[in-house]
Amino acid sequence: MSRPVLARRDQVLRGGQPLAFGVGLLVALVVGVVLLMGSGHDPMRVYERMFDASLGSSRAWSVTLNRAVPLGLAGLAVAVAGSMGLWNIGAEGQIMAGAIGATWVARIGEGWPGPVLVPAMLAAAVVGGGLLALGPAVARARIGVNEIITTLMLNEVALRLVQWLIHGRWKDPDSHGFPLAPMLPEQGRLPNLFERAHVGVVLAGVVIALFGLAASRTAWGYELRVAGSSGATARYAGISLQRKILTVLVVSGGVAGLAGGVELTGASDRITEGLSNGFGFAGIIVAALALMRPSGVAAVALLFGAVQIGGQSIQTMGVSSSVSTILQALILFGAIAAGVFSRYRVEMVSGDAAEAAA
Amino acid sequence: MNETDSTSCSPTNSTAHRPPAVELSGIWKRFPGVVANAGAHLTVLTGTVHAVLGENGAGKSTLMNVLAGVYRPDEGEVRIDGTARHFRSPADALAAGVGMVHQEFRLVPSFTVAENVVLGAVDRIVRRQSIESAVGDLAERFGLATDPVRPVWQLSMGERQRVEILKALWRDARILILDEPTAVLTPGEADELGGVLRRMADDGRTVVFISHKLHEVTGFCDEATVLRGGETVAASLPVDGTDASTLAGLMVGSAPMANERPPPCVVGEPMLEVEALSCLGDRGLPALHEVDLTVYSGEIVGIAGVAGNGQRELAQAIAGLRPTTGGSVRLGRTDLTTSTPRQRFTAGLGYIPEDRIGVGLAPRLSVTDNAILRTYTSHRKGPFLDAGAATNHCQHLVDRFGVRTGPLDEPIAGLSGGNLQRLLVGRELSDHPQVVVAAQPTRGLDVQGVKAIQDLLVAERGAGVAVLLISEDLDELLMLADRLLVMHDGRVVAEFDPESARRHTIGEAMVGHASTGVVT
Amino acid sequence: MTEASVIGLLEATVSFGALLYLAALGEMIAEKAGILNLGVEGMMAMGAVTGFVVALHTGNPWVALAGAVAAGAAVALLHGLFTVVMGADQVVSGLSLTILGIGLAAYLGKGSVGRPAGAELSSVDWGPLSDIPWFGPVLFQQSPFVYLAVVAGVVAWFVLGRTRLGLALRAAGESASTADAAGHSVAGLRLGAVAMGGALAGAAGAYLTLSLTPQWAEGIVAGRGWIAVALVIFGAWRPGRVALGSLLFGMTLALKTRLQTFGVDFSPILLSMLPYLLTVGVLVAISIRARNRPSPAPAALGIAYRREER
Repeated sequence: MSRPVLARRDQVLRGGQPLAFGVGLLVALVVGVVLLMGSGHDPMRVYERMFDASLGSSRAWSVTLNRAVPLGLAGLAVAVAGSMGLWNIGAEGQIMAGAIGATWVARIGEGWPGPVLVPAMLAAAVVGGGLLALGPAVARARIGVNEIITTLMLNEVALRLVQWLIHGRWKDPDSHGFPLAPMLPEQGRLPNLFERAHVGVVLAGVVIALFGLAASRTAWGYELRVAGSSGATARYAGISLQRKILTVLVVSGGVAGLAGGVELTGASDRITEGLSNGFGFAGIIVAALALMRPSGVAAVALLFGAVQIGGQSIQTMGVSSSVSTILQALILFGAIAAGVFSRYRVEMVSGDAAEAAA
Repeated sequence: MNETDSTSCSPTNSTAHRPPAVELSGIWKRFPGVVANAGAHLTVLTGTVHAVLGENGAGKSTLMNVLAGVYRPDEGEVRIDGTARHFRSPADALAAGVGMVHQEFRLVPSFTVAENVVLGAVDRIVRRQSIESAVGDLAERFGLATDPVRPVWQLSMGERQRVEILKALWRDARILILDEPTAVLTPGEADELGGVLRRMADDGRTVVFISHKLHEVTGFCDEATVLRGGETVAASLPVDGTDASTLAGLMVGSAPMANERPPPCVVGEPMLEVEALSCLGDRGLPALHEVDLTVYSGEIVGIAGVAGNGQRELAQAIAGLRPTTGGSVRLGRTDLTTSTPRQRFTAGLGYIPEDRIGVGLAPRLSVTDNAILRTYTSHRKGPFLDAGAATNHCQHLVDRFGVRTGPLDEPIAGLSGGNLQRLLVGRELSDHPQVVVAAQPTRGLDVQGVKAIQDLLVAERGAGVAVLLISEDLDELLMLADRLLVMHDGRVVAEFDPESARRHTIGEAMVGHASTGVVT
Repeated sequence: MTEASVIGLLEATVSFGALLYLAALGEMIAEKAGILNLGVEGMMAMGAVTGFVVALHTGNPWVALAGAVAAGAAVALLHGLFTVVMGADQVVSGLSLTILGIGLAAYLGKGSVGRPAGAELSSVDWGPLSDIPWFGPVLFQQSPFVYLAVVAGVVAWFVLGRTRLGLALRAAGESASTADAAGHSVAGLRLGAVAMGGALAGAAGAYLTLSLTPQWAEGIVAGRGWIAVALVIFGAWRPGRVALGSLLFGMTLALKTRLQTFGVDFSPILLSMLPYLLTVGVLVAISIRARNRPSPAPAALGIAYRREER
């Protein structure tokens, strides 16, 4: 009896990752057609609307870019940790922690002018996100506690911290009893860039570019690569693993915190429990699709931003916004599959132990 | 169909009319770049302990993996009890009664001994007490002292090996292959194992025992087959009538050793001075006990020993990769005892770790990234790495040491073992070290690779470098070393002059019988 | 604090505990075989919506439950396909499954939001047992899902600890190459375990829409899938301890709406952080202890196995 197995290709297919990405997109769109027809819609019209609303005009671009900002920063946060082989699954919570930090600054700095207040808020956001990552970072560096689970758990803690604040201390006295924080002051908002796009777009672009540069060109990035490739090699090269793990996870948390700060000051009126909006989890997918490379993160974030904005726009046609959520997951699954097949091929073997080619 | 289990028969008298338990003939097995078996043959009689001897790379393991169904031979025939067999998996071989104990154990550390033994061969419902007592009975029957209730992670290597043997016995393997079983054993454990194997043979089973250590063969084996270069050079020699030096001669071939030795160099100042160095092993137990050694400029000092007697820890402690619990390491006049690995390298200590990939080289990084692993701090412009300088450095290494590689910015994964080692050794030698610690530098390389690395080490010695060479290949040590130290149980127990020392005497020192050696 | 309110708390503790236990048990089985599935939240959502929609169409709660179980197992097998067959990263695949499951559930349930349940699995009446003071209401007037959870737990305990299948499954999670060498199919064991995990998560989802709530709304799972992931660690990968943990965490859920009844001046929101913080604490303790002995986590958890690369 013969059965199919995956056999490693001698040579990885050239341009595998962009290709895989394209295949993922294609898979998602095809499955999307099925879903849309299943709910009685014309897929072509829906896709056209999605495209128009996300990339069809400068206004559409501005909205998409705004959405790409938290996705890109969250993706970068995951990629920074991922380049060292660490998983920061806590971006969702760190976004919240960043927003808490920024809101806290906005509360104490009520009369501050915008050019002071906004940077202070963003700095506090970075600190907030970094602080939430500090515990998992120390635990991982010192006693080897698996960071996947600790960061994941702290997501829920941060979410509840926000709930607790807006149900209690930070509740707006004028909110008629609703658990709502007060609106941010006008000078606590990011200035506009064009149409709906805010300055956060530039900020995120710069931060991603800087990390890209740091990762590929600096000694710091080099050490990260070595440590990510093999811990024992890093020690052999004289790189302190503990310190690297600690700094990388905290920096990763800080970047996610910044995503929260930018989202708060750029796209939201106030801190809410829905602020992180799945950006942290989407960021993991973004980073995975970008193979943990900052350069790829920006591109993938833009595409996911477009899919999300396009997905929102079709609600007016009576299509569930969940279609865009499904599309995002399918892009990833499709891309993973394509990525696997760029490295492996299917072979039929007779049912025996394949020989280990020593 | 055949009643080999009748305990009354003694091993040798009943075999006359029965086909041999194992008959391998004309076995060829090729791997990319290597011919591991070139028409090897082997015949093992039922109820005997049969040694398969040969130096590292002689093709012993490959031949045994063919017998155990792990590899399929390119050519040749496998007969078990007279019947031709075409094993397609280890399970096939087991069904025919052939079980193998590999060098790397396949055990679940968190399972108990009994659970490990019965895994894959047990009733649908597992009754803990009954499997524990059954495994206990089996262990007792063959003198394999183990506690079936204990989890495997608590066991010593010797105990784990007994569990592996029990696994094969539990599945009623009538032919048991052990791949270098004594490599992980203390001498006491090795003797015990000998007793167990004898008992199994007396029970009517057949044992094939792979080794490159002569004294074991003479201890408890009935017959020996010697492999060299993938071929059988002597088949089924009765051990009783053959003396050890004959076997040694067969293993190493006829070329006299002395001719191959490079001429000695002028020995200079003491360069590497290790005093009373102690450290712990991976399991937190003392692995090195106050080791003293000195390597002078212009000499190669060899370290011989059975694997696991502190050689690995010694290298790591000198390189700064393992914390020490006492003693000192000096390089020339510099005390390195508390220095970091990087400081040691800068001070002139090159280190070739025994784990090439994963310690010496970072697997997923490019050739260039790996080439600058030790020196990247000097290729900096502010916070940036000078990519041009790094590439130049790498190109220089590749050219000088003849590393055959693709584009330098591609991952090293595509390089062959020999080229990986050239890159690693080249990197460690390129910064003009004064001392080089080389741990198993030629292990697993093909003939050309071995020669290239050995030549490099000899050239270093010629340039006045002090070389500490740790190897499990005694021939290599006898050929290259100016002085030979033997380690046993974390101590240096003997020193020999490689030109005059007898292998047999060195071997005795390696297993702790150092009475005849020139003890330091 | 009245007797009724204490009984009410205990009743809710058992009922929430069973919900968490069903999902956590499934996750534990998958992890025991070496597959981390962070898609619990999505699998529960799929179970919840499938159960509800099938109930609407058939009016039969048992058919609805079967549908939920099948749906959970089906999406879990997607994770299995990617992680076991293709060897993709388990974290990424699992999280994508969560996103996909939540999205797909929202899509499938769009027309069912706000509608009354087509069928419910109402409390089981154990006759005289149900009338025992205290024990009756707490233990013997519960939803069938509670008893399902108990049965599932006992079966899991027996199978994992006392059968050849369990031994093989645990071996696949501890050392896949060892299980393979012993003649077991690692891929088969892992796929089976992942599917079983999805089935139980699907059942937990159906518990929400067929018994606890019983309604369908987006976001109905509300983070309970993550608690299930936490519980596996909290319970150190043992069915019994996970059960105790489920009751403990179930009690924090039950207390959330009852703190004021008991006159306790403590924020129910802060209380609901407790399961996550406790889990982090347990994980730290496990890691500290792991210096002297192996961690209770399956040693090969999260590691893809390909024989060809041995």
